[in-house]
Amino acid sequence: MRKDHYIKLWLKDFWGIFTHELKLIFSDSGVMVIFFLAGLAYPILYNLMYLNGVLSETPIAVVDYANCSDSRRFIREVDATRECTVKYRCVNTDEAQTLMRDGKIRGYLYFPSDFGEKLARMETATLSAYADMSSFLYYKNILLAANQVMLKEVGSIQMERYAAAGFTGIQAESLIQAIPYEENNPYNRAFSYSLFLLSAILLVIVQQTLFYGMSMLVGTAREENRSFASLPDKLEGHGVGRVVLGRGAAYWLIYMGISIYIACIIPAMFGIPQRGEFWEIILLLLFFVTDCVMFSMTWSSLITRRESVFLLFLAMSPVCLFLTGFSWPTTAFPEFWKWFSYIFPTTFGCQAFINLNTAGGDLGTAHDQMVALTIQTIVYFALACIAVYAENWYLHHKEVLQEKKRELAAKAGVDLDEDRRIIAGDDGE
Amino acid sequence: MGFWHNIGAVARRELRIMRNRPIYLLGSVVTVAFCAIFFLTFLKQGLPHDLPIGVVDMDNSSLSRNFARQLDATQLGKVIKYDTFQDAREDMQSGKITAICMIPKGMYADVQASRRPTFTYYLNGLYFVGGALSYKNILTMINLADGAVQREVLRAKGVNEDAIMGRIRPVDVDVHQIGNQYTNYGYYLTNIFLPGVLALTVVIILIYSLGAELKYGTSRHLLSTAGSSIVTALAGKLFVYTLLFSGIGLILILLMYDWMHFPIAGSIWNMFLAIILLILASEGVAIFIIGLLPVPRLALSIGALYSVLAFSMSGFTLPVETMPPYIQGLAEAFPLRHYFLLFSREVIFGTGFAGWWQEVIHLLIFVLLPVVVMYRLKRAYIYQNFPKK
Repeated sequence: MRKDHYIKLWLKDFWGIFTHELKLIFSDSGVMVIFFLAGLAYPILYNLMYLNGVLSETPIAVVDYANCSDSRRFIREVDATRECTVKYRCVNTDEAQTLMRDGKIRGYLYFPSDFGEKLARMETATLSAYADMSSFLYYKNILLAANQVMLKEVGSIQMERYAAAGFTGIQAESLIQAIPYEENNPYNRAFSYSLFLLSAILLVIVQQTLFYGMSMLVGTAREENRSFASLPDKLEGHGVGRVVLGRGAAYWLIYMGISIYIACIIPAMFGIPQRGEFWEIILLLLFFVTDCVMFSMTWSSLITRRESVFLLFLAMSPVCLFLTGFSWPTTAFPEFWKWFSYIFPTTFGCQAFINLNTAGGDLGTAHDQMVALTIQTIVYFALACIAVYAENWYLHHKEVLQEKKRELAAKAGVDLDEDRRIIAGDDGE
Repeated sequence: MGFWHNIGAVARRELRIMRNRPIYLLGSVVTVAFCAIFFLTFLKQGLPHDLPIGVVDMDNSSLSRNFARQLDATQLGKVIKYDTFQDAREDMQSGKITAICMIPKGMYADVQASRRPTFTYYLNGLYFVGGALSYKNILTMINLADGAVQREVLRAKGVNEDAIMGRIRPVDVDVHQIGNQYTNYGYYLTNIFLPGVLALTVVIILIYSLGAELKYGTSRHLLSTAGSSIVTALAGKLFVYTLLFSGIGLILILLMYDWMHFPIAGSIWNMFLAIILLILASEGVAIFIIGLLPVPRLALSIGALYSVLAFSMSGFTLPVETMPPYIQGLAEAFPLRHYFLLFSREVIFGTGFAGWWQEVIHLLIFVLLPVVVMYRLKRAYIYQNFPKK
């Protein structure tokens, strides 16, 4: 009977806190901008930006001192690649360098005057490629185009040379390429920039917008002399669990919706591969969103004013993105940053999403990340409870603490009242 | 006289506010310092070492073992052996390895008998840097293995060593990376990311500072301190913040190009100028946003959304010319984009003023933005007739 009563009361409190939090969320325009404008529009914007993730036809120039049939063929073939287009033919390197400085070309090929002679003498002929390193993609394209054409040229020149040495047909072929190779890049065929970036960025958007929005509400509550953590009065200091779960449920509900949109609908809209099983992605999102809610509840409890979260933590977004290991590989993280990355749900969530959704693995491939997300959720749930408990303790001992602060300020010679007047805009003068 | 006196009064008032709200210094100095430490230590290696590459050796001959050893011995690679392709594939899908090399059964025997066995490799292109570098590494190693076979045959035929080289490699490409000759990933990212973080901080802090006057209803006090002139009020505030942020900016430039020895073809003085222009332009944007939308809670959210986009829009990762045309136009609305163009002319090519004067003009246009909204901001400050929060 008593137990039944307890459960009823628990659910009633939970429901009250849950609906109250939802009301707060939907009546705050700033939070709505972050949750819905950012949560819904950012993924679209990023997709539009990176829609065409492959850089093609990088403009280059050629400086051809050799001017022989071999160099001309080489130039034609480079021009024919997807990666580069030969825009200018320069008479000397100065001209090419000027063009590069003006940003008209992103690199140039230089054929020395002995290029043809060396080929005729059956020696190694060297050409030089120069690349603008302001974006690594320019470099990658020029390197790739030059190397592809070089390998092809090598093949045909070798054929001639071996024929001259008396090797023909299959014999020559097996010499030129004793071990032919086959290349596979199953998940990202053209090394498209958008595929790898978007797979990582989508879940970072989920975590960051949730964290910013929740922190804004916590800050607002504190400014208005309310607290994010007020416990139901009748319980006299009990009921931390239902405050954390009740508030969490409100965000969880909204963010399950937003994250399904971001992780399932957005990729479908923009044709990002969805190789994972739908239900496995949903399962991942369940774990991830729960973790993000607990993560945000823990850290947002440090926020004292509405705006502070942007002032303090906006720059963390790119940092979080790097800590997912999507670009700089996790194996090369310095030890400290590896541990630091365990703070964020995205570190595991993004990797799991990439493995499941884009690489098309089954749940087994995301096993480690799922375990990590679970551990994180438990830890952050405990921390969020502690934060609520500590906040209540503070509220009950506020008077004493403020007295202490005043004493300290007096010792340091700062007149708090005068400062307050100035901030409040009263004319002290 | 009154003008200068009032500016001084506003600046003193601002300093006092900053003392009382440590968030201003935490949000600017500490945030930028944290990011500087992050990018400079996180990417310290420049190029990642020992990327895990899976090798499935079905052949187990001296040739295949030698290949795996050589791959392992490269600076870039670290070989992890698998018994079956299935195991290797699962590890690649879970992101543990960057590539898989399949060495077919009987490869050595096939090579000896000129039967041309096919070597197959799989790349994980979802982890960009790791995948691309392993690709380069495997390609080099397989071409070397190929060359070794050719050399053996040619030696057996009695061709002399000089002629062998000419036959194995008739054409060679010699690549020169201008502006970053070691392909250092740390230089590449930090060069733009740190100024980007600074620009973001400027926008946020300034919107907050101007918005706080509305939020706490102190805007009339600010105006009266400034002698009822919005220009003086803004000038006084900007004086404090420009000094603060320029200090941070100069330290960043010194940190990168002097202390950490990032390659720079041009002059460090020009980069000082560039970062100060970036700061001024960002201040212009901040005033524009809060003036257009004098509701602190919205202005700050919008400012945050705008600032984060700048990193992608600057085009230093995926070049802007790859983006759709309407996005290309939008990219011009970000000061960081122009800073990046200025940077690439000065730091990579060392063109001097002649190369980047247009970017200076673009950045200065941002500085003029507040003029458009100044009157509106003043009215908001006087009447305080917008939602306060």
